[in-house]
Amino acid sequence: MSASVTRCPGCGSSNIVDDDLYCQAQRVCVDCGSVVSEGVLTDDWTGDTEISYSRTTAVARKPCLNLIKGLQRVKAICRILRVNSEIENHSQTYYTQAYQHEAFIRVSLQKKEVLAGCCVLVSCRLLNWPITMGTISCLLDADPVVVGAVYQEMIKILNIKAPVFIINDVMEAHSQEYKISSLHVPEELAENSRDLTKRAVALVELAADTWIVTGRHPTPIMMASIYLSWQSLKPNKHRLKLTLDKFCQMAKVNKLKPAMKRIAEMKEVLCKLGREIPWVREAVTPDNVMQQVEDILNYRFALLRRALRTHEETLQAESEASGEDSLPEEAASSQVSEHGEQHSNAPTAEECELNAGSAQRPRDGNDDPHTEPEGNTGGGESQAPAPNWGKRVLFAPPCVVHPKRRSVERPECKDVTGDEEISDSEIDSYIRTPREAREFALTQKMLSESEKT
Amino acid sequence: MDEFALERYFDDSIAKDDFLLEDELGLEGPDASAPPLKVKPAEDLDLSFLPDELSTQDPSHANINDSQTSALNDSHDSGVGLDFNSHASTLATQENPQQGASVSRLGTSAFYPMTPMTPMTPMTPMTPATEKSGIIPQLQNIVSTVNLCCPLDLKFIALQARNAEYNPKRFAAVIMRIREPRTTALIFSSGKMVCTGAKSEEHSRLAARKYARVVQKLGFPARFTDFKIQNMVASCDVCFPIRLEGLVLTHQQFSSYEPELFPGLIYRMVKPRIVLLIFVSGKVVLTGAKERAEIYDAFENIYPILKGFRKQ
Repeated sequence: MSASVTRCPGCGSSNIVDDDLYCQAQRVCVDCGSVVSEGVLTDDWTGDTEISYSRTTAVARKPCLNLIKGLQRVKAICRILRVNSEIENHSQTYYTQAYQHEAFIRVSLQKKEVLAGCCVLVSCRLLNWPITMGTISCLLDADPVVVGAVYQEMIKILNIKAPVFIINDVMEAHSQEYKISSLHVPEELAENSRDLTKRAVALVELAADTWIVTGRHPTPIMMASIYLSWQSLKPNKHRLKLTLDKFCQMAKVNKLKPAMKRIAEMKEVLCKLGREIPWVREAVTPDNVMQQVEDILNYRFALLRRALRTHEETLQAESEASGEDSLPEEAASSQVSEHGEQHSNAPTAEECELNAGSAQRPRDGNDDPHTEPEGNTGGGESQAPAPNWGKRVLFAPPCVVHPKRRSVERPECKDVTGDEEISDSEIDSYIRTPREAREFALTQKMLSESEKT
Repeated sequence: MDEFALERYFDDSIAKDDFLLEDELGLEGPDASAPPLKVKPAEDLDLSFLPDELSTQDPSHANINDSQTSALNDSHDSGVGLDFNSHASTLATQENPQQGASVSRLGTSAFYPMTPMTPMTPMTPMTPATEKSGIIPQLQNIVSTVNLCCPLDLKFIALQARNAEYNPKRFAAVIMRIREPRTTALIFSSGKMVCTGAKSEEHSRLAARKYARVVQKLGFPARFTDFKIQNMVASCDVCFPIRLEGLVLTHQQFSSYEPELFPGLIYRMVKPRIVLLIFVSGKVVLTGAKERAEIYDAFENIYPILKGFRKQ
């Protein structure tokens, strides 16, 4: 503001200058130093303390350091897994979104790392690059339960509809881990990874059809199928004698305990099918079934149909004695015979694949007509029929065939209205007598004192 | 040619319905126009795929006082059947032989018994919802809350009551148990109480009253107010194996199946708002209900899905 011509009231001089003291504009007389005017209202606002720090630095604000580090971790995980760039980009987007959500912004750094892995996992699933949660847990060195919890929360928050895990897809990736090519092991124990995988995938499909896979952890099943596939590719004594332990040591993978049980279950299924092979004369047992595995897998659909048909015939023979209603069984067996007639006993593997779709329906249907008579006998059944249905069907989930023994159930309680009289004596039985209370208090005091010393 | 004849027939039968509902007159049949549909008699028709609505609509047909030939009855019957056939594919198939039997019985008796052809069977009553699947979920656990309306001295209670445990460092409530009904209660110092472990609503109420009585006897002015059931858990067995992988594909928006985390499929039903745990063995656990009816409804909703599913 230019000095307007005024006179200083103190000394009368006209030598007045503008002076800014503490940002306050003042007009001061040069000669005597008195302040002529101050606090003149100005046009521009010099409000200083009203603007907060975060607002003044907003433009220049850097993204959170942990977010950057997290994104780099996502990238690292993607590089380790060797996924394509599309998955990498997706994971990074998801991570940024999830990170800034209120559910994840304040969690520990460890959880944020788990979140990074889960983002990679969900992107892989969405873009058809199958990996297991176990792989991610391994990479992150985190507890699979924690990974699972974070994963489920994340897909809920980001509202992602991820496709479900399919074991066949992961099979190939899994089998790459096993170091049993001729570079790593002696020639007679070596196997070409392509053959191994192909057979293992067929075994896994068979296991899935016969209820071994549903509800179970996938990795032991994959391990079991690779082991059995390796054994059956050259079923000589040497290979058959090698236990799972030694196999895993040789292939340099960590053995999984449930794999032993899966091996037993799969061998049982293979035996059931092996019995149906028309040109095998001797009894098929878990010991000699490995030689038949190649044939079993090649003709597995036809063998499944035969096995189910044989089973139905046995059941029908049994039920005729008891006079059960055989209508569902007839319908099912007619379906089966239709398909049976269309195909000769030894179709090629390709034909089998083509008929997979049509064969599956009657097969699944065949499992169940047997359960119809039992299932519809009404609710509130005692336990006796329930385990039966597992044993009457040829293929059933193992948890049904071998149910866990439950402790004896308490007898049904009498009907109660909720408003009955409550007897005093019953209530008194829950209250200590005065003497008892005193002794209890004393004992507690003594115990706590002895703990302190 | 058949299709046009069928269309004409349907138009006629729809007109006939309205006519009948008002007047109960005999049918002036479009016999002449109706082509002789070669269908099996109603008794042999497998109507088991028909949905529930058919049973509710049949009473309207019962007003027919008709002296038509059984052929027309049957073809009308099949007309209705065919009409619903197009809907059947959109609804979950219900292949319960029991239901099928009852519907086909309805089918024959719905055409009121004036002709010698149709038997004079009385109308069978509608089967109640729970009996459709024949399986009733059994309640396993009820969680309820009660307000005793007075502050409590937990140390005193732990001292004076035989069946109480109190560890303030671990949890800020007294854990009390009674033998009959076999339940556990968490009693807080504010006077609020949670009662768990009962097998029915009445048992839960009785147990809560017993706990309140114990607290009363210990000298507190306890009352029994705001008894509310918070959660009910039930379980049942459908007795056939279930392909969880397939179920999660078709009902993706409700299901979550992660075999690496949990062997069962978690199905979050929207109406009623119940969470079901479905296992490969066919066992189903239902939880999250505040009333028994919700559990039964939820099971009746899921049963056709599971059943329709296993035949695929």
